[in-house]
Amino acid sequence: MERMTDMDRTLTPRPLAGAWRALRRRPDAVIAAVVLVLFTTMALAPRLFTRTSPRSCDIREARVDPQWAGGAHPLGTDSLGCDVLATLVHGVRPSLLLAVVVVGVALVVGVTLGLLAGYYLGWVDYLVSRTVEVFLVIPLLLAALLILSLFQGVDLGGGTFDVILLPAIVLILFSWMPYARYVRASVLETKNLDYVTAARSLGASDLRIMVRHVLPNAVGPVTAILPTSVAGIISWEAVLSFLGIGVRPPATSWGIQIEQGSEWVTGGAPHILLAPLVCLVATVLALVVLGDALRDALDPRLAR
Amino acid sequence: MTRYIARRLLQGAGTLLLVMFVLHLLTTVAIQLNGNPAQAFFGDKVATPAQVAAVEERFGLDDPCFDQPGNPCLGPFAERLGQYARGDLGTNLRGREVADIVGAAAPNTLRLFCVVVVTWLALGMVLGSVAARWRGSAGDHGIRLTSVLIDAFPVFVLLIVYRYVVAVPLNRWSKETFGEDSWPPYWFRPSFDPAHPWATVLVPGILLGLAGSAAFIRLVRASQLESYAGEHVRTARSKGLSEPRVVVHHVVRNSSVPVVTAVGLTFAEALGGAVITEGLMNIYGMGGVLWEAVRNDDVGLVLGIVTLLTTVTVLVMIAVDIAYALLDPRIRLGTDD
Repeated sequence: MERMTDMDRTLTPRPLAGAWRALRRRPDAVIAAVVLVLFTTMALAPRLFTRTSPRSCDIREARVDPQWAGGAHPLGTDSLGCDVLATLVHGVRPSLLLAVVVVGVALVVGVTLGLLAGYYLGWVDYLVSRTVEVFLVIPLLLAALLILSLFQGVDLGGGTFDVILLPAIVLILFSWMPYARYVRASVLETKNLDYVTAARSLGASDLRIMVRHVLPNAVGPVTAILPTSVAGIISWEAVLSFLGIGVRPPATSWGIQIEQGSEWVTGGAPHILLAPLVCLVATVLALVVLGDALRDALDPRLAR
Repeated sequence: MTRYIARRLLQGAGTLLLVMFVLHLLTTVAIQLNGNPAQAFFGDKVATPAQVAAVEERFGLDDPCFDQPGNPCLGPFAERLGQYARGDLGTNLRGREVADIVGAAAPNTLRLFCVVVVTWLALGMVLGSVAARWRGSAGDHGIRLTSVLIDAFPVFVLLIVYRYVVAVPLNRWSKETFGEDSWPPYWFRPSFDPAHPWATVLVPGILLGLAGSAAFIRLVRASQLESYAGEHVRTARSKGLSEPRVVVHHVVRNSSVPVVTAVGLTFAEALGGAVITEGLMNIYGMGGVLWEAVRNDDVGLVLGIVTLLTTVTVLVMIAVDIAYALLDPRIRLGTDD
């Protein structure tokens, strides 16, 4: 039985389908997925989880302790009297949206550049490789601090995308390189294999060869790093928001909440800090576990 | 070998120039789109145009190109490069030389990095070796679980919890147990004390090192597993060498090359972590200064320090490549690069 599954894993035409089957058998991956689905639902429909608005704050009710399921403020209130649960639930959207947008765009940019560089080599490759090199030596956080502090005073409005626009651009600018490297490496490995040569001699166009025959080989390693990348962006966002240069008020995010909560731990209201911190860790942990499981599922060398 | 080093240095200089240009472009575009950072000098006060102009001139922002979006501002770039070449990194908002500030702050950052690297190597080598030696055992799985957990706690979270939740009670407890003047209260101080730089940098450094150690554990494990499967190890075993000797001389030693170079390659990442660590723990290091500069909207200082730290990163990468070539003859004799 075990041998059969191993065989159809290696023979499966789509690596992702095999990975999906392998993932479903791992309890840790399933739990991680459930946690992620929960937070995604929170981001899409915050009103399912709380009816209190995060903006209706009553300063007379500041720093109320958690009242759990029964009370009006299940997780208590913060230093301004805002409901912690409401802030928490409404803070998921900017954090998750930012992470998904950044990783999505960076992925497209990185894959395209890596594909072109690996396929055409020559000056295209030189250009892409040098650009990757230059961007790799500028530490992401340093660049983000520089650019975002230059843009600190700009008013972009309060729409869903407006509040994350600046950090998104900066994080995309400095996070596409790994994808380009992975894709370039696997294109170099694949492009002279017999089936690609066969496709070429049958008259397939460059574009068709790249997309249909070369790219699918790069899907595995790139997919395996996606969850960890999303986790990374979520924690960078928390750091930037903590410094006041990430997601912009009036939107809330976990980073902003952590910043506000950190002052009150010794002041007798640790729940203001702990609530967003626990959520942040839960999300990142779920993503890391999922990434770890994916890495196993997609790496045929580890399957044996 | 000399030729390899010369070529690598030349290439590094090129990268450095490009990096500076990218940083310059980003800053220029930001200034063109966002208006002048000289305004920040006055904070909330309203400044007369003459005052703004004076500040602009002092920070080298008086060139008209900063008002023309799309203009790459090559003139000011060349000027700035000239300043950097003379060791002039500009001044902060209060007029203090950035080079001065760096001179005072760099030793603390170096202390932090010493602690971090020792933590990386200690945790990575010990846990990675154990996991590789007893592959598939409960210990191996436990270590793997640990490294996943380490990954799940970003250094930011670790430090926040440590500083705001753990450090204060721990500090109080150690004062009561060991007395005011003993070492433990200094270890657990929630903020930096310039009078005891090593003691107060120790715990933040260990935490930062811990946060980055997962990658090391995995790397050490993977490269040692490769060694265990290698022919030289089989030969060593079959000629009757004792197991400890095989492990120390043929596995650990052989697989330490990638580990040493990984220290250099993770440098850029650790630099970001150092900024967070120093900022949160009030350590007066390069990162701490940068953190404060961002909070105070001090663009001149931010630019100076970011440029300097990026330069250091490039130099570290060159050093890593050269070290790699020295350790592994296949690289320096290879013709493929």
